[in-house]
Amino acid sequence: MITRTLRLALSLLAVALLLGGCAGGGDRGGGADPDRLRIAVQKDFGPLNFITMSEDQLLFLVYDRLVAPSPYAREPRPWLAKEVRQVDPVTWELDLRDNVTWHDGRPFTAEDVAFTVEFMKTAKSGTYTHHVTTVPRIERVDVLGPHRVRMNCAFACPFLGSVTLAHLPMLPRHVWSTVREPNRHTEPPIGTGPYRLVSYEPGRAYRFEANPAYFAGPPRVRELVMPIIPSPATTFTALRTGEIDTATGEVPPELVAQFEATSGITLVRTTPLQYPEVRMNHLRAPFDQAGFRRALSLAVDRHELNDTVWLGRGRAATKGYPHPDSPWTNPNLSTPYQPDEARRQLDALGFRDTDGDGVREGPAGPLRFTIKVDGAVPIRVRAAQLVAEHLTEVGIATRTEALDTGSLASLNETDDFDMYVNEITAHGVADPTQFIMSHYSGYLWELPDRPYPEMERVIDEWKAAPSIEARKAVSFRMQELFNSAPTAIPLHYPEGVLAYRPEAYDGWAESPGYGIVHKWSLLPRPVAEAANALTEPR
Amino acid sequence: MALRVGQYALVLAVAATINFALPHLAPGDPITYLYGGTEQGLTPAQIDELGAQYGLDRPLIEQYGAFWSGLVQGDLGISVEHRQPVVDVLAEHLPWTLALVGVSTGLSVLLGTLLGAWAAWRWGTRRDTAAVLSVLAADAMPGFWIAMVLIAVFAVQLGWFPSYGATSIDASGAAWLTEVAQRMALPAATLVIASLGGFFLLSRAAMVTVLDEPFVRRARAAGLRDRRVALRHALPNALLPVYTNLTLALGAVLSGAVVVETVFAYPGLGRLIFDAVTVRDYPLLQGAFLVVTVGIVLANLVADLTYPLLDPRVRRARPALEPA
Repeated sequence: MITRTLRLALSLLAVALLLGGCAGGGDRGGGADPDRLRIAVQKDFGPLNFITMSEDQLLFLVYDRLVAPSPYAREPRPWLAKEVRQVDPVTWELDLRDNVTWHDGRPFTAEDVAFTVEFMKTAKSGTYTHHVTTVPRIERVDVLGPHRVRMNCAFACPFLGSVTLAHLPMLPRHVWSTVREPNRHTEPPIGTGPYRLVSYEPGRAYRFEANPAYFAGPPRVRELVMPIIPSPATTFTALRTGEIDTATGEVPPELVAQFEATSGITLVRTTPLQYPEVRMNHLRAPFDQAGFRRALSLAVDRHELNDTVWLGRGRAATKGYPHPDSPWTNPNLSTPYQPDEARRQLDALGFRDTDGDGVREGPAGPLRFTIKVDGAVPIRVRAAQLVAEHLTEVGIATRTEALDTGSLASLNETDDFDMYVNEITAHGVADPTQFIMSHYSGYLWELPDRPYPEMERVIDEWKAAPSIEARKAVSFRMQELFNSAPTAIPLHYPEGVLAYRPEAYDGWAESPGYGIVHKWSLLPRPVAEAANALTEPR
Repeated sequence: MALRVGQYALVLAVAATINFALPHLAPGDPITYLYGGTEQGLTPAQIDELGAQYGLDRPLIEQYGAFWSGLVQGDLGISVEHRQPVVDVLAEHLPWTLALVGVSTGLSVLLGTLLGAWAAWRWGTRRDTAAVLSVLAADAMPGFWIAMVLIAVFAVQLGWFPSYGATSIDASGAAWLTEVAQRMALPAATLVIASLGGFFLLSRAAMVTVLDEPFVRRARAAGLRDRRVALRHALPNALLPVYTNLTLALGAVLSGAVVVETVFAYPGLGRLIFDAVTVRDYPLLQGAFLVVTVGIVLANLVADLTYPLLDPRVRRARPALEPA
């Protein structure tokens, strides 16, 4: 009797599951609807308040910049501005487009530009504030007419047109001037961009709708649904089953070969302007010695890291800091692997193995250090282990310690580390003004509290350089100086592999630093090309 | 009764204090996650200033006072990560966990108990051995692995079920319910397979003992049908340990199923807590821990109050246990 009951129950369950499974497709399936795309994002970025860390790829669907596409492109073009001209080393004038409106229908004017710059000075946004307060320092914005402004910098600002204005999102004055607590503002953002954020469900999804009144013409896709899927394995299973059409995240290396053989999915190889690096605590002896840091850099075999850890996907980081594919990076930088030279320099600094145990000693005892790393990212753990082996081979006993993601992030502020592995993004390694700022913020150095006369002299030269070419020349010298005694050692310049379903949409193209999911992929191709927003296909 | 409620209130107060302290003991704070830290250009002074805006510069005892003050007013603060009131964020995620883990726990209890009784009835036979081995094998499999297998078979190969999420963003009405049922199928099945073993073994062991009791032998001798003996006489007496296990499991329902919710991108409480730990979202962690604590305490209270109703021996034994 029980057997019969069990059989019945199990049969009912199976039927229920089957019926449930076959009872309709929800929004899964082939994704043939050209009006809608489903794009997985890895994190919940909150309600896209620009002050906090948001994903540029999402944020700039809503917002626009005066110059496009970004500071990471070789020749940015005027975008919300019609014309951008440098009047003298410290002065710029901008003519704005007169046919741009905010999502709520109000016109975009010079008053919005002036407001944005002033607002950014107090916004305390990690990404944007320093662009108007420090490098460069915009002292004044004069409204010369409804669509004309003049900007004055405190010192020469030849990068203003191609870096600063290509970075700042333009904000509507009539919205933000009334916000009492900007950091906690949670209303949907109002921009001039090709998409409006119409729905945000915490932890679940974003939904954007096309802005039909976009000044450059309506985007090609009417609606974007972006489910939040943290796990890459889940993301790419959903891509395989056709539940999503593409993802902002990269295909994990172990899935690349499988996806290459999967019909209906196209892979795109990109150059993410970011990389993993070992950051050294230059406040702590002996990392406070330039020669010691130089020796460490010489001891790290980036080729082995590239071949062993990243399976040859990408490039060995032998060109140091910043990213070699940034248009602002000295192409002649070199950070070679020379372990014998590292040993010689350590000997010269007085770090010798006096007791024959294979570990060098310094004034404070044996050189024993720890590299901390995010235990949730196995590939970085393996990289840290290999770097530890490289350092141990030259007599610096190094071990690795895995931390949780939150604890590792706190090292940035607590300075409680010898070394740690960090993943640094395009803003840090492809924006020439952020490279300076990182020397003031404490990431690469702590100016002016902690003197670095050689670097300070070069920065003074940099500030005085009146033209882009002159400034690039000084930037190149500054990068050489940094790499001669780095406080952060890049480990690997990764290759990004992104995937999409072409039957759903085939307009994806790479924009420097942003992969393939960005507004330029969703605008008519001539518009994106006019903005010089796309990378040449590889 | 009043004493017992007082004891539980004390437990809740102590647990709430621990819930407040734990996130603060871990290194780090939410500012780096939110604003990017020095790497993005913020200076240490600006980071301190931002911390002050979130009240992180105040002495811990002051923050603790504010926590209790908010708590008694039903205000759990604002989630740093989601920039919404914690109460709203919890209200958004809690139902998904209650539905997912509630359904899967219910199915686990039902299937585990019935399967255990079925195996006990055939104790020592090949079918019993096969059932024990199968259930133990399923029990030994990690939840994430079961999930991946189910996804590979039922989502990728057969295409019967969606592989992630709880519902689509714009479904409504009957379509919404269908969506929810479809998307719950694989995560619920994962949890059922992963948790079936405990109920199966408890039920089987209890049933084997009960089947040897004189009243069962007498029922059989009286000529009652096997089904009636098993379901009406033996099984109810074998359910007590299953019930104890169920009440303990109910407490854990609210803490969700972190791994399964992560693999299936299911927007429940477990994944919420996991993300909040990464972000160091103190208000959200405190709120979520509080919900879990209350759930566990309530489940224990229910167990305490209902057990005597199910087992008269507990009622009879109590006066003898109390001191004179």
